[in-house]
Amino acid sequence: MTAAIDLRTQPSGMSIEERRAMLSVNQLMWLRFRRNRLAVIGMIILIVMYTMAFFADFLAPYTVDQTHQKYVSTPPTGLQLFDTQGEFHWPPFVYGLQSKTDPDTFRRTYVPKTEELYSVHFFGHGEPYKMFGLFSTDRHFFVVDEPRKIFLLGTDSTGRDLFSRVLYGARISLSVGLVGVILSLVIGAFIGVTSGYFGGVMDNIIQRIIEVISSIPQIPLWLALAAAVPPNWSPIRVYFGIAVVLSFVTWGGLARQVRGIVLGLRDADFVIAARYANCSDLRIIVRHLLPNTLSHVLVIATVAIPGMILGETALSFLGLGIRPPMTSWGVLLNEAQHVRVLLQQPWLLMPAIFVLVTIVSFNFVGDGVRDAADPFAAA
Amino acid sequence: MVRYILRRILIAIPTLFMIAVVGYITMELPPGDYVTRYVAQLEASGQSGARERGAVLRTLYNLDDPTTVRFAHWITRFVQGDFGDSMIYQRPIRELVAERLPLTLALTFPAFILSWLIGISLGIYSATHQYSISDNVLTVLAFLGLGLPGFLIALALLVVTWRVTGNAYIGLFSGEFASAPWSLAKVLDLAKHLWIPVMVVVVTGTAWVVRVMRGNLLDELRVNYVQAVRAKGVPESTVILKHAVRNAFHPLLMALGGVLAWLISGTSIVEQVLGLPTLGPLFIQATLEQDIYLSGTILIIISFLLVLGNLLADIALAWLDPRIRFD
Repeated sequence: MTAAIDLRTQPSGMSIEERRAMLSVNQLMWLRFRRNRLAVIGMIILIVMYTMAFFADFLAPYTVDQTHQKYVSTPPTGLQLFDTQGEFHWPPFVYGLQSKTDPDTFRRTYVPKTEELYSVHFFGHGEPYKMFGLFSTDRHFFVVDEPRKIFLLGTDSTGRDLFSRVLYGARISLSVGLVGVILSLVIGAFIGVTSGYFGGVMDNIIQRIIEVISSIPQIPLWLALAAAVPPNWSPIRVYFGIAVVLSFVTWGGLARQVRGIVLGLRDADFVIAARYANCSDLRIIVRHLLPNTLSHVLVIATVAIPGMILGETALSFLGLGIRPPMTSWGVLLNEAQHVRVLLQQPWLLMPAIFVLVTIVSFNFVGDGVRDAADPFAAA
Repeated sequence: MVRYILRRILIAIPTLFMIAVVGYITMELPPGDYVTRYVAQLEASGQSGARERGAVLRTLYNLDDPTTVRFAHWITRFVQGDFGDSMIYQRPIRELVAERLPLTLALTFPAFILSWLIGISLGIYSATHQYSISDNVLTVLAFLGLGLPGFLIALALLVVTWRVTGNAYIGLFSGEFASAPWSLAKVLDLAKHLWIPVMVVVVTGTAWVVRVMRGNLLDELRVNYVQAVRAKGVPESTVILKHAVRNAFHPLLMALGGVLAWLISGTSIVEQVLGLPTLGPLFIQATLEQDIYLSGTILIIISFLLVLGNLLADIALAWLDPRIRFD
């Protein structure tokens, strides 16, 4: 489907309208989506982000919890191409770092030593790690000459490389929203179809329950539920716990929309035909009704993902969501919560930029998907 | 119309009760309770009589009763307007809320008015100049405003103002004014501290209103009656402002139903980050420290405002748009 759909390659001698008529719905949707430039850009950015998260251990110069005692709270290391004489260097290099301790406040400050140059190496040897937990290697995308270390986004107060942690954190931050959305899709679609198909008392009860849940404001409900995740849970359970909390707020709205569609389809000819053909209720729901709600459900899902990622970030930021030893963008930003710390080390706010780029890209894509879902609507 | 309103109010009553149940259960979900922690804290600091004090507090707050009994106690007192005492502050919850409510509203209400005024005007401009450069710039800005959570904008602004002015505007007042009597200087100091939260809330709020207003108005401008009005030779500004905008406003009116609750709780995390003594941070603290009566009360007040707001919005919409009345 993603292959280039070019109207010009269709048989000649037809008008554009005739050629359009020959395209499948999927092709029409793709055309619609592609017309939205921002959506396409958003999708490309998201693909890059997810790839980076996938290859985090290779792309990151250091492992997630590696501390560098000599480099506590260092500002971002600037990559240089030209030295003080104006001479060009490839690969790029970084300057040495001189640490000074203020005799009054005991605060360490750092100044670059421009007379020392340390070259960056691509695909060099560094900290050993297990790629995807499968095979051991010590190759990293980039490393710097010993004894210098490279911190593209600076380090935190225990000397951990923020750039590496952002990459590792992306794994959780980018996936927890997806897991949450899938959960609420499954729950919402199933309950919505049941509610709409059977109607009657069950429908009434389900609708009242959804009404109650959606009457509790989202953020307070998230906070209260996240606080209920026990502190002694294992990281993996906390992760899914948070995903459940995130989906708890959204499944209701989804179920309502699915119910609406199913109500409209329940007495459609093809459903009645299926019923006369002695199909079981389950078969009618799974084979006939669910597929018809699919495009609508996908739109809702795409639009819901950014909210969930923001939710995780906010919860972890407050210390209620993902917590150490797991790392997510919210966990990283949690360190920036103490304003005194932040004022000394403003680079701790860097993960926010990754959050911003992700959310904006998802919003762009969501916009495009919404337009594409109904390719027959007038533009 | 009266029947419609009565029916809606009757439906709202059981909903409110169910909300109280769900809200209360949620608050009781976290393992442990406040007093157990409090006692552990006292013991850790080596105070004598911690256990006895804990036992007194447990009976005072009915912590040893079964959940159902405790809920029954609490909800009967709640409907009589007695919210009970906060365990953290050991003061009546009513006082705590009353203390913080004015400042919360002083922050969120102007922010709400500003963001809706700016948002609606920019939305109308954006929709009537679709795909122009200014529309595209506004669209990108709105997406940025929607993408960045308010608390991060607040932190960034704190860093920037600190870099520029050398002051960190956390809390309500600078140190020297905190306990000083009211004076012009103190008011100015307050204003210096409040512009950050107000601006953050306005930025995020405006972004959303712009998007909704733009989308609605674009949809509305495609409808045939707009063509008809234009064909009659009505000036374009009247076509837009008097005919299209009026109808495009309906979805926003629905959203207005959520505003009552939003005024209280919509900006909790921003307020928390900036250390403001408002209701949001109080709720977060109560949730974290399991002061169940305090967090439960605030949660139910907010939910109640949401139900009430939606009811008012529905009534207003039914009054404005006769098509909805007979559903």
